[in-house]
Amino acid sequence: MQDSDKLAIAAHLHVLLRRKTGRVTDTEWMAVNAEYALEIVRFARQHAVEDGVPELAEWADRLDHAVHAPAPVPQRRPLLETASQAVRQRFVPEPVPEAPRYVGGIR
Amino acid sequence: MRAAIQGFVAAIALCMGLCCTAAWGQAPAPEPAATAASAASPAPVLTRPGLVAKDSINAADTAWMMTSTALVLLMTLPGIALFYAGMVRRKNVLNTMASVVAIAALVSLWWFAIGYSWAFTPGSAWLGGTERMAFAGFDFQLAAGKLSVSHVAPAIPESVYAMFQLTFAIITAALLVGAVVERMRFSAMLLFISLWTVFIYAPIAHWVWEPGGWLAQMGALDFAGGSVVHVNAGAAGLVCAWFLGRRSGYGREPFEPYSLALTMVGAGMLWVGWFGFNAGSAVAADGRAGLAMVVTHVAAAAGALSWMLGEAVMRGRPSLLGLCSGLVAGLVAITPAAGFVTLRSALVIGLVAGLACYWGATGLKRLLKADDSLDVFGVHGIGGIVGSLLTGVLASRSVGGVAGSLWTQAIGVGAVLAFSLVGTALLLWITNLVLGLRVDEQSEQVGLDIAQHRERLGQ
Repeated sequence: MQDSDKLAIAAHLHVLLRRKTGRVTDTEWMAVNAEYALEIVRFARQHAVEDGVPELAEWADRLDHAVHAPAPVPQRRPLLETASQAVRQRFVPEPVPEAPRYVGGIR
Repeated sequence: MRAAIQGFVAAIALCMGLCCTAAWGQAPAPEPAATAASAASPAPVLTRPGLVAKDSINAADTAWMMTSTALVLLMTLPGIALFYAGMVRRKNVLNTMASVVAIAALVSLWWFAIGYSWAFTPGSAWLGGTERMAFAGFDFQLAAGKLSVSHVAPAIPESVYAMFQLTFAIITAALLVGAVVERMRFSAMLLFISLWTVFIYAPIAHWVWEPGGWLAQMGALDFAGGSVVHVNAGAAGLVCAWFLGRRSGYGREPFEPYSLALTMVGAGMLWVGWFGFNAGSAVAADGRAGLAMVVTHVAAAAGALSWMLGEAVMRGRPSLLGLCSGLVAGLVAITPAAGFVTLRSALVIGLVAGLACYWGATGLKRLLKADDSLDVFGVHGIGGIVGSLLTGVLASRSVGGVAGSLWTQAIGVGAVLAFSLVGTALLLWITNLVLGLRVDEQSEQVGLDIAQHRERLGQ
């Protein structure tokens, strides 16, 4: 799962916990630190039952899933792309910032 | 504007009327069997258009040439119209299409009024005669069993040969639209194209394709129009771009093409139509025409792929417009060589042309600093030059019966380039004096569809 998706779930849970339980959390730390995130998951599930807020349990599950989801595998770079990049670097030594499309010519 | 159009129409009508009247006055009577071909005696070699017995016509060749004529006309209507209209901004699509259609009609009349006679009848080494002017000739005598043929193509009716060559004149003029789109007055374009077809295209066609023309005498090879059509149109397009100046906002604003899907449809029609262009130039339904067809196909494929690879390496992505441009580059470059080279040579020509024209439409374009809007010089000029020169290197004696000479080819290309550059500039100067070349700033902003035609694309 992408970091941006984890951050979105953490932000949603942060708002819910503050509104329903008064607990203030650290959204960004929740998105990057698994230990902290799992503690928040435990806390949210507990209050979901005690306070009767099923929405808290639902978002706790989502964060739990996000924390345990495998990290995205770095994309393999095909050999041809690597070679073409090398050729580009060889023949176009000074990379000119690409002009916006269709300015000064259609091709 | 209305006055200018009315003036232009009157001028054209007057010119054509005067021309026809003068030529009719001196039109020679139908030559009584100029060749005196009889069934018993061997047919004498024709040195000028004349009447022959209808039995001497080859039916298969005639059928193929009529088919080729239709194919080449389809390249312009709607091939070029779609190819170009897809690349201009939405507000100029109808003007671009109208220009192509009007050119097809206008050139057709000028061709039979003056152009064909100056191009394909014997005269001097520089210009043909007057015997086919003012819609004269092309006789067909049913009772006598005779019909007119050209000395250049004695196995088919002259009417078919003249029509076939007309489609070349039409497409050459239509190619110029790509250099002047989005800013040239419609009336000025019509006057300029009329003058250009008569005073630039017809003489060059005579130099290269009429047996008495000076480049033909010198041995310059141009099977289907590498120099006559493409170098000529490319050079003229470049002069037009210089003379007209850049479009308002050029180099600062993006000029979004209306629909590259239309451009692809046009490019597909060009690819198919080019079989008539090149294989038809064999003027026979024979083995040479077959070879011309296959080398045309191979060069188009090679051109498309080499442009695509060049673009992928330089920019990281291949584009549809790049593929379409590359196939046209391959087709342009094989045009002068089609009846002279083998399949392997066609592959080389296509590969070289794809990369050369990619440079022509990008790097060279930036160097020239002209707003050659749809890259007429970059694709047709450069492709024509590359193809004509490579014909001198790769022409096979076993295929075409002649060996190429790079030096002769270079002279041919140089002569066409120089004449087209200077002649086009002169005709543009005259047109500017008479009608003015450019639309005003406001019309350019509104778009030429509304400003020139009071029409607009539907939603």
